[in-house]
Amino acid sequence: MTPQSPAGQTTTDWSLLERIGRKDEEALSALYDRYGGLVFSAAKRILRDTGAAEEILQDLFFHVWRTPEKFDRARGSLAGWLLVAARNRAISKLRRRDGASEELDENGVAFRVNVERHAAQNRIADKVREVMANLPDNQREAVECAYFGGITYSEIANKTGEPLVAVKTGIGSAMAALKKVVR
Amino acid sequence: MSGGEHIRGDELQLLAVGALPEPEAAAMQAHVCDCSECGTNLAEARGIAALLSFAVKQDRAAGTVKAELMARMRANRKSEERNAWPRKVVHEPDAMPRGRKPRTSWWTWGLSAAALVLALVSFGLSWQNRRIAAELQTERKSAERLIHDREQIEKYVGVLAAPDTITVKLAGTEELSKASGVVRFNAKAGVVLYAADLPKLAPDKSYQVWLVPANGEPMSVGLLGPGGRAWGNMWAGEVAPNMNAKGFVMTVEAVGGVAQPTGPQVLVGEE
Repeated sequence: MTPQSPAGQTTTDWSLLERIGRKDEEALSALYDRYGGLVFSAAKRILRDTGAAEEILQDLFFHVWRTPEKFDRARGSLAGWLLVAARNRAISKLRRRDGASEELDENGVAFRVNVERHAAQNRIADKVREVMANLPDNQREAVECAYFGGITYSEIANKTGEPLVAVKTGIGSAMAALKKVVR
Repeated sequence: MSGGEHIRGDELQLLAVGALPEPEAAAMQAHVCDCSECGTNLAEARGIAALLSFAVKQDRAAGTVKAELMARMRANRKSEERNAWPRKVVHEPDAMPRGRKPRTSWWTWGLSAAALVLALVSFGLSWQNRRIAAELQTERKSAERLIHDREQIEKYVGVLAAPDTITVKLAGTEELSKASGVVRFNAKAGVVLYAADLPKLAPDKSYQVWLVPANGEPMSVGLLGPGGRAWGNMWAGEVAPNMNAKGFVMTVEAVGGVAQPTGPQVLVGEE
């Protein structure tokens, strides 16, 4: 359920994060309810392992609990950060490496859509699925292989038999199509 | 991208989607750290790439995952509270609706009581531990004293029982005419001295016993009194092996003794 303020408005991610900074368990519980499904589903898609995906889910939210001050509001969106962090951790796990070294600067994720409500998440999900469904197969495969498979454009080229340039262009086109979702 | 140039948009997209090989990705990351414009563009590209997560069939983790997470958080919070020093008082006026009293669960009281009991038990054990340590120290000192006494007695017996031990009687000098002593000397086993009616010395003084050889300078055989080894009025000293003694002298010297006699003689005796 989406947590709401007394006035009926949805509690913002940053407000929850502020409360998490004061060790408010209910705030983290609300954040988990808001994005836990997305994070878990993304990790499971990459790992194809429920247990490993659950591990990432729990570790990620525990990380938020322990270091809420690490998230800089000026540098991007918390939802975007959670999704990118989940993806990076899952890819690291997939490569059997230590997830901690794969943190990158995930704070820098500019997410131009507000997905604080589950209804908004469903709307975005519908749009993204529609965009993906309309992509040419080679473009969809290229961007999915990179994002969910953690493989490089040259590896994708080897796998699909497409020229390198075509793979790069395909990923670029897919990203351009996705960009329309947030416009 | 090269030098101070910005990273092209298509390259940032590849980076955001995770399609670049590690060396290229690392080089771009390094550039992005120093270039705010590329950093902003990369953040945008990552936001677009993150949308891909919405395309995934949505699923929910088992309920136990959240329960475990909450338990982990509570344990972490308690651990942080335990380790915090000085304790931070956190006021949370907005964390709870007004008019609602903070809830104190029964286990909070239970834990507080358990903590109090543990603290009392800990204090009791600590006190007992200190008492036992003090007793042990006393016993250890007592044992050391007994060992020392036994060694002294063995030395006396060794000297007194040896058939070739000689006896030298010591007489008090003019100022201490009442004082007297007996030296039992064995060139192999050492010296035993019995002294009587010696006056008590100042704390910075000791009686020093000297063996006077047939030839040469007197040799110190030990101290009696502060800083020296004494057992009642008996005393045992050691001498260099096979020394021939012409006589013995006792002088008053500074605590710790001196190399050659300098102070007044109190007992003197010759074989």
